[in-house]
Amino acid sequence: MSYIPGQPVTAVVQRVEIHKLRQGENLILGFSIGGGIDQDPSQNPFSEDKTDKVNGWDMTMVTHDQARKRLTKRSEEVVRLLVTRQSLQKAVQQSMLS
Amino acid sequence: MEDCNVHSAASILASVKEQEARFERLTRALEQERRHVALQLERAQQPGMVSGGMGGGQPLPMAWQQLVLQEQSPGSQASLATMPEAPDVLEETVTVEEDPGTPTSHVSIVTSEDGTTRRTETKVTKTVKTVTTRTVRQVPLGPDGLPLLDGGPPLGPFADGALDRHFLLRGGGPAATLSRAYLSSGAGFPEGPELRDSSSYGSLSRGLGVRPPRAGPLGPGPGDGCFTLPGHREAFSVGPEPGPPGGRSLPERFQAEPYGLEDDTRSLAADDEGGPELEPDYGTATRRRPECGRGLHTRAYEDAAVDGGELTDERPAFPAVTAPLAQPERAAWAAWTGWCGASPSVDSARAGGTLSCLRCWPMRPPTCNICALRTRVSSGVYGSCGGCHCLWRCWTTRWAEVRRRACGALRNLSYGRDTDNKAAIRDCGGVPALVRLLRAARDNEVRELVTGTLWNLSSYEPLKMVIIDHGLQTLTHEVIVPHSGWEREPNEDSKPRDAEWTTVFKNTSGCLRNVSSDGAEARRRLRECEGLVDALLHALQSAVGRKDTDNKSVENCVCIMRNLSYHVHKEVPGADRYQEAEPGPLGSAVVSQRRRRDDASCFGGKKAKEEWFHQGKKDGEMDRNFDTLDLPKRTEAAKGFELLYQPEVVRLYLSLLTESRNFNTLEAAAGALQNLSAGNWMWATYIRATVRKERGLPVLVELLQSETDKVVRAVAIALRNLSLDRRNKDLIGSYAMAELVRNVRNAQAPPRPGARLEEDTVVAVLNTIHEIVSDSLDNTRSLLQARGVPALVALVASSQSVREAKAASHVLQTVWSYKELRGTLQKDGWTKARFQSAAATAKGPKGAPSPGGFDDSTLPLVDKSLEDEKTGSRDVIPMDALGPDGYSTVDRRERRPRGIGSAGEASEKEPLKLDPSRKAPPPGPSRPAVRLVDAVGDAKPQPVDSWV
Repeated sequence: MSYIPGQPVTAVVQRVEIHKLRQGENLILGFSIGGGIDQDPSQNPFSEDKTDKVNGWDMTMVTHDQARKRLTKRSEEVVRLLVTRQSLQKAVQQSMLS
Repeated sequence: MEDCNVHSAASILASVKEQEARFERLTRALEQERRHVALQLERAQQPGMVSGGMGGGQPLPMAWQQLVLQEQSPGSQASLATMPEAPDVLEETVTVEEDPGTPTSHVSIVTSEDGTTRRTETKVTKTVKTVTTRTVRQVPLGPDGLPLLDGGPPLGPFADGALDRHFLLRGGGPAATLSRAYLSSGAGFPEGPELRDSSSYGSLSRGLGVRPPRAGPLGPGPGDGCFTLPGHREAFSVGPEPGPPGGRSLPERFQAEPYGLEDDTRSLAADDEGGPELEPDYGTATRRRPECGRGLHTRAYEDAAVDGGELTDERPAFPAVTAPLAQPERAAWAAWTGWCGASPSVDSARAGGTLSCLRCWPMRPPTCNICALRTRVSSGVYGSCGGCHCLWRCWTTRWAEVRRRACGALRNLSYGRDTDNKAAIRDCGGVPALVRLLRAARDNEVRELVTGTLWNLSSYEPLKMVIIDHGLQTLTHEVIVPHSGWEREPNEDSKPRDAEWTTVFKNTSGCLRNVSSDGAEARRRLRECEGLVDALLHALQSAVGRKDTDNKSVENCVCIMRNLSYHVHKEVPGADRYQEAEPGPLGSAVVSQRRRRDDASCFGGKKAKEEWFHQGKKDGEMDRNFDTLDLPKRTEAAKGFELLYQPEVVRLYLSLLTESRNFNTLEAAAGALQNLSAGNWMWATYIRATVRKERGLPVLVELLQSETDKVVRAVAIALRNLSLDRRNKDLIGSYAMAELVRNVRNAQAPPRPGARLEEDTVVAVLNTIHEIVSDSLDNTRSLLQARGVPALVALVASSQSVREAKAASHVLQTVWSYKELRGTLQKDGWTKARFQSAAATAKGPKGAPSPGGFDDSTLPLVDKSLEDEKTGSRDVIPMDALGPDGYSTVDRRERRPRGIGSAGEASEKEPLKLDPSRKAPPPGPSRPAVRLVDAVGDAKPQPVDSWV
């Protein structure tokens, strides 16, 4: 899927709620994230899912490190994510077309 | 003995007729009988028949005798009853083993390069073994399955040992029914030949000597045959072919030979070759019955083609066989051959039979032994004498059931790496017979089986041309055209039909895909087959329209299109009318736009004049002209092979490249563009321009990020070909450079473990860079901006591959040749030595001037690459030097000597391994990927992923 810069993007999103785990001092979510506007998209190890929002914060225009910090905030036990996934997108497209 | 045999044959015939007459009655009794059997089975299973050590042939003969005795007992109905059910079981087996759908990966392999193909082959071999194992397991299931059909106790998967036991048990009870089944099935072939065969049959049993000659309605042959199977199986299971028990992976046998590696002539000669090849297999038998081995071989073809039933005449009496066979095997064999009137040598049976027997094993539905026997007999080399004939005869029966099973057996036989079976089928005239059956059969199941068999057969090089000769028209008109939805005379009122992705279509397209790789002649035949290209295009368009582009059928179609697009500019009739002048010294073929247009009538004459006018102007103006290149107007719609290279197809391929997630399809579509944009004929010029106009370049550039090596490779080469167009070259230089350089970087330091690109791919990428950098200062600047120089230098220094290093140093040399850039380079700390040393490394023995249009004609690099070409590494070749051949996917494969394939095999595995690691990257911050990226000096401010 390619996007045209400057054009609005329509995406199918999914809400995901994650209760963090406590690991020592830190609260962790238990997965890895990749990408960020400071990253080379071609190096992104995860391209299937996109995190659009975390607890209401827009995540589409943040650096990798900002995203990491936002996700692991110690003040928040729960994160609510808005996630775009390619597979979901495809599935919806298919069902709409057929 | 002879008398005995005659007797038994006569009795068989008699019983057959009788059985036939009773068929109706028996059918009615079926239900009841089945239940009965199931009950018995249940009972039999419980107490221990512990005869575990079945290795020796001894216990089995005993079992047989018991069985034989029981045969005569009135349980025969059951066997008949099972017949209807058998198909289900049978089918399943067949599907598992042969389903062409599995070999998806195979296809992809085919698509790209020789190396790929090779690799597949290896895989296939392994697979076959696996399959065999599986089959063995299933055998036990089969028998159970049949009785179980109506809710019998599920026996579940048996261990090998368990099988034997079951079998024995069954011998006591339901087993008898089984043998009966055999007989009853025999009824299906009431033709006379059996009588004649009887003599041979008798002799066989003589040789075996194991069995007491039996009188009575039940021929000894059938009965034995049924029971032999278990014995057989046992011997094999222990034997040389124990497949890995876990072999669940489906074999992708088709992959192995999707593209013809051979010369065109080869397949044609194959028929002749078949004889000698098979000769050794006949072994002693040949001596004794010369007519069979030779005569059959040569004649079988026509005979079978004309009428499957005729074959009997040729069958010589079977000589006494002294070869030591396992008892059960012998008996079965004897029964078989006797029944069929075939006289294969036991030696060969033993030699060739093992594998194939096993393979066919699953075919045997427990109750219906006919097919099992047949399969068994026909398996292996000796199948050429008898088994296949039997199968052919099966087809003449009016029992659809038997026919279906015969097809299934054949499909199993044809499956796998083992070419003996394929050769045997060919020698029996299997291809024409299959084609005839396809024409005649209305039963969809049979059509699936037949086309599946043809698909299997089509992976065997010598058979490709045979299939084209006999089957192309039928396959096209019976399957491809109707299923594609294409209509010769489109009805304006009705909506165009969509393609139906049926199994038959999938199988057929797979078959054509394989045969389309056989060389120029094969391509010509396919191109000129009326309606084929039209139908394929229609099917693909329909797939794109429905956004259903990931399936196997689409993949097959695109692969056919790709193969047929190969060398169109040379092979299509009248192609020379469209040739353009050879590329000028400037190196970009595009610059010389003049065409030799002897037939201006086809397209308006205006263009020629315009071009003539523009010719000789400065490049810039030429470019502009090119940019606004008008596509030729046609007076009538293109059809047939013309469609292959009409600019309209560009949109189709681009849609596939955008939509599909099937790597093989992606690769094939990119390969098609690559083929079409190669060469210097007028249509290639149009294609190159059309790709740009259709905004195809971004699509291609995006695919450079593909995780699949071969896609990257095909796309890279396509981009190189496209950059023959000056305008494309500029665009590609500006927009694709970063991606290309990234791939170079990945070549040394894969972003994740196992993600290293194959050598061929790296070389392809480097050659593309070279092409777009040549003759373009701007593009070279882009290369510098993309930090390509450090990557290239590192690659030259570190690469294990001579070809990669050479290709990289070509690029470096070209970069250095731009005097305008030397200042910048030196400012960055690069010295001439870097580039020169690279050049030195790459310098070939010969210092001839570069043939093509490189700015610096003194650079010796080009020669080097030429030399490479001789040794088989085609990617290094500069386009101008090589001409279009260097680019086309198919061609490369063909040119590649077999020996080189090994490298390809090894490398092919990589992408497969990659996938899992990519999909599920190991979590955790300490992933090597991060470190590797740093090592390249391309570190990002942060790691590419973080554990959160």
